[in-house]
Amino acid sequence: MTFVCLAVVWLTGFGLVRGMFPRPLEWSLHNVLLLSLGIGAGAGIASCLWFLTLLLAGPNFALLASVTGGAAIAALAFALLTRRQGTLLAWAEGPEVPGYLPGLFLLAIALAATTFVILVVSNPHGEQAAWSIWNLRARFLFRGGTLWRDAFSNDLSWSHPDYPLLLPGLIALCWKLAGHESTGAPIAIALLFTLGTAGVLTGALGALRGKTQALVGGTLLLGTTSFIALSAAEYGDVPLSFYILSTVALLCLQDRHPEDLRFSALAGLMAGFAAWTRNDGLIFLGAVIVARVLAMVRVRERAGFTPLAQMLRLIAGLAAPLAVVLFFKLRVGGASEFRSAKPAVVLQHLADPGRWILTLEGLVVMLFAMGGFLIPIVLVLALYWYLVRFQVDARDRAALATGAIALGLTLAMQMLVDLLFAGNLGVEINTSFERYLLQLWPAGVLLFFLAASPLRLTAAEKPAPKGKVSRKAPKPSRRVAETR
Amino acid sequence: MARHTLAVIALAAVALCSTFWTLLDFLGDYSHNRIFGVAAFESRFDELRKTIRPRTVYGYLSDNARNDPSAGAEFYLTQYTLAPAIVKPTPDEPLVVVNLHVPKPDQKLLQANKLVLVQNFGSGVLLCRRVQR
Repeated sequence: MTFVCLAVVWLTGFGLVRGMFPRPLEWSLHNVLLLSLGIGAGAGIASCLWFLTLLLAGPNFALLASVTGGAAIAALAFALLTRRQGTLLAWAEGPEVPGYLPGLFLLAIALAATTFVILVVSNPHGEQAAWSIWNLRARFLFRGGTLWRDAFSNDLSWSHPDYPLLLPGLIALCWKLAGHESTGAPIAIALLFTLGTAGVLTGALGALRGKTQALVGGTLLLGTTSFIALSAAEYGDVPLSFYILSTVALLCLQDRHPEDLRFSALAGLMAGFAAWTRNDGLIFLGAVIVARVLAMVRVRERAGFTPLAQMLRLIAGLAAPLAVVLFFKLRVGGASEFRSAKPAVVLQHLADPGRWILTLEGLVVMLFAMGGFLIPIVLVLALYWYLVRFQVDARDRAALATGAIALGLTLAMQMLVDLLFAGNLGVEINTSFERYLLQLWPAGVLLFFLAASPLRLTAAEKPAPKGKVSRKAPKPSRRVAETR
Repeated sequence: MARHTLAVIALAAVALCSTFWTLLDFLGDYSHNRIFGVAAFESRFDELRKTIRPRTVYGYLSDNARNDPSAGAEFYLTQYTLAPAIVKPTPDEPLVVVNLHVPKPDQKLLQANKLVLVQNFGSGVLLCRRVQR
């Protein structure tokens, strides 16, 4: 029953995104990308509806089932009854893919899947933060019945009762509809978000840069052991990374298809769900708005570019989930640890140069250690850049700037929060900094391969004049998608 | 072409070898049973859990040493197990859950914390009442 519930949630999300970007149901990059985006969209919608239903009517099984099922039917009807043809997301033109690359990608999938299975079989309840925060909250919400608000008691301040509810809400919803608790729900949710993240990264890179870059990017993400382990740990970081990646990817696609403003609306929705996943998502939401405005100011002279309309769609998309987050924060959630911080101590932390040095040192160390790679991945990426170089398409400059500024601002704010509020900064750096980097990692991989030069891996491929292909090629040949 | 091939092979090789190497580590941990067992911890509390009602607040006491790194984790697991009751990390509550690592109740520990035994659930799990003086 848990899996039926998650299938319904997935269909809800898929129905919504397919209704926004309708195309025939067939095996295509377009539908793979929509199925991947549908995981996060469905999870966000279902958990927001669950929260509102719980708030208005309590833990009523019949009502929760009706609302969840009704949302799925409405989304599917929206998807099936939409008659117009939307933007087609097809593989971007690119060099021929060498035979070994799909093999490496499949090997990465197999290794990631094996790692995930071993970790969840040996630890089905997840790691410490799962059972002291996320799954604990889900248990309170499920077992508490009408006393579900006990989940946010100040007696549980050590379990961060102010954290948003996307993940615990979705788990509690699955348990409620299944009628019993199981470790299967959080494990399946973790798996879905991992699949979704890999799907969005590969799909978006495929639509933006072609099959070769997509397979290399996908192999790198699935080969990031810490990312797979973090997913199996059942923390909120991988779902957050999904929403951050989806927001950035959709804004990249928006800049390739400036006439279709639904990309911005969906990006806004994903950013809103990021805020409903973790407090770091709220930071990202603010950062992405600032980044988008800054990037738009830089590229405002581009033909067909409609910055105001895009921003309005972005804000429209994030409005509903943000309203849910704000209501939760103001009326339901427990006290934040920051509220009890003494201003004098915060100022003392701010003025302490030792904490700034420790933070920067921690960042540098973690940049070299992140991911669980045998060789620091920053060095490997530096080598990749040295060998391949960057070649940024003019169409992608705004999206790259948006993504880079948003990720940079988010990381800076996360570290600043720790610098100001953490009691034991050393422990905080050791336990949090790698997770911060992994939250941003899939979106970072997308931006890296979006900026990298097209790969020439087969002898048949003729090298193109460096830096001039994208700008001087006739427009129809540059187009990777048709819009009807 | 050779530069690009080298770049892709290097990146993929580092990613895949790292995953494979870590996978061997995880397999070793799994086969040697070095994983911290949440299910085993929870099963110790099965009998106590059956008596739990929502909105009950319990105190908590353990025989873990102060500097024992697993002390915090065991407290969190106790709360995880006993939800929706609330467990506070202090023995200063009328009812206290005691988590011991020995089968017999440690009377000295209970007396030092002004606790009297209400029920022994076995496996080192006790429910105690705090004596008001």
